[in-house]
Amino acid sequence: MPDEVPIVEPTNTVPIAPSASPDPVPASERHRRDALALTIAAAAWFLPGLGHALLKMWGRALVLFSTVALLVILGAGMRGNIFSRNGEDAFAQLGYVADLGAGIFYFVAQALEPNGPDVSHANGDYGTRLLATAGVLNMLAALHAYEVTRARKA
Amino acid sequence: MIPTHEFKLSHFPAMVIFALVISVAFGFLSRRSAYRRARYILWSFILFLLIGVGIGWAMYPFSH
Repeated sequence: MPDEVPIVEPTNTVPIAPSASPDPVPASERHRRDALALTIAAAAWFLPGLGHALLKMWGRALVLFSTVALLVILGAGMRGNIFSRNGEDAFAQLGYVADLGAGIFYFVAQALEPNGPDVSHANGDYGTRLLATAGVLNMLAALHAYEVTRARKA
Repeated sequence: MIPTHEFKLSHFPAMVIFALVISVAFGFLSRRSAYRRARYILWSFILFLLIGVGIGWAMYPFSH
């Protein structure tokens, strides 16, 4: 008598994932965390490194403050262009947004450049790039601080 | 008014300083352990320099 082994038909059914569980964090707590994240992001933008310092990430805070400060000091020392609010074209306005990203260092850069920018030489052109980089880097750091506060990043 | 010093940097030192500063900032932002940070910073720095010099060489024929 042959063994009758029951044949199991392969099924193409995919196990259904359990429905998304309700968010364990209450709405009030979420709103409080969002408000805190925005505050920390604003602080991180205003003073580079402050957002991470408030989150007790001392190494990151120190490095961010130092790098943004160094880029601004170098950029201003190389007589880079600090874009103003009254930009003539889209590039100037974009440059203003990038420069303003450095927070308080935007005004420090203006104070460090008593003779104004000189972009007629390559030196000044590099300085413009360093100033813009300082701003964009600080905006990235502020976004990182925001994400950390919302517990999306480590 | 804050007294300041005017810096005169040529192409290569400006690129090296830029690459170093950005690599350090990226390394600290994106990695947590000291070893992984150091490795990331080194790799990022080397790649910044290599790509910068590579683009410079690629543009060289168009400038002559």
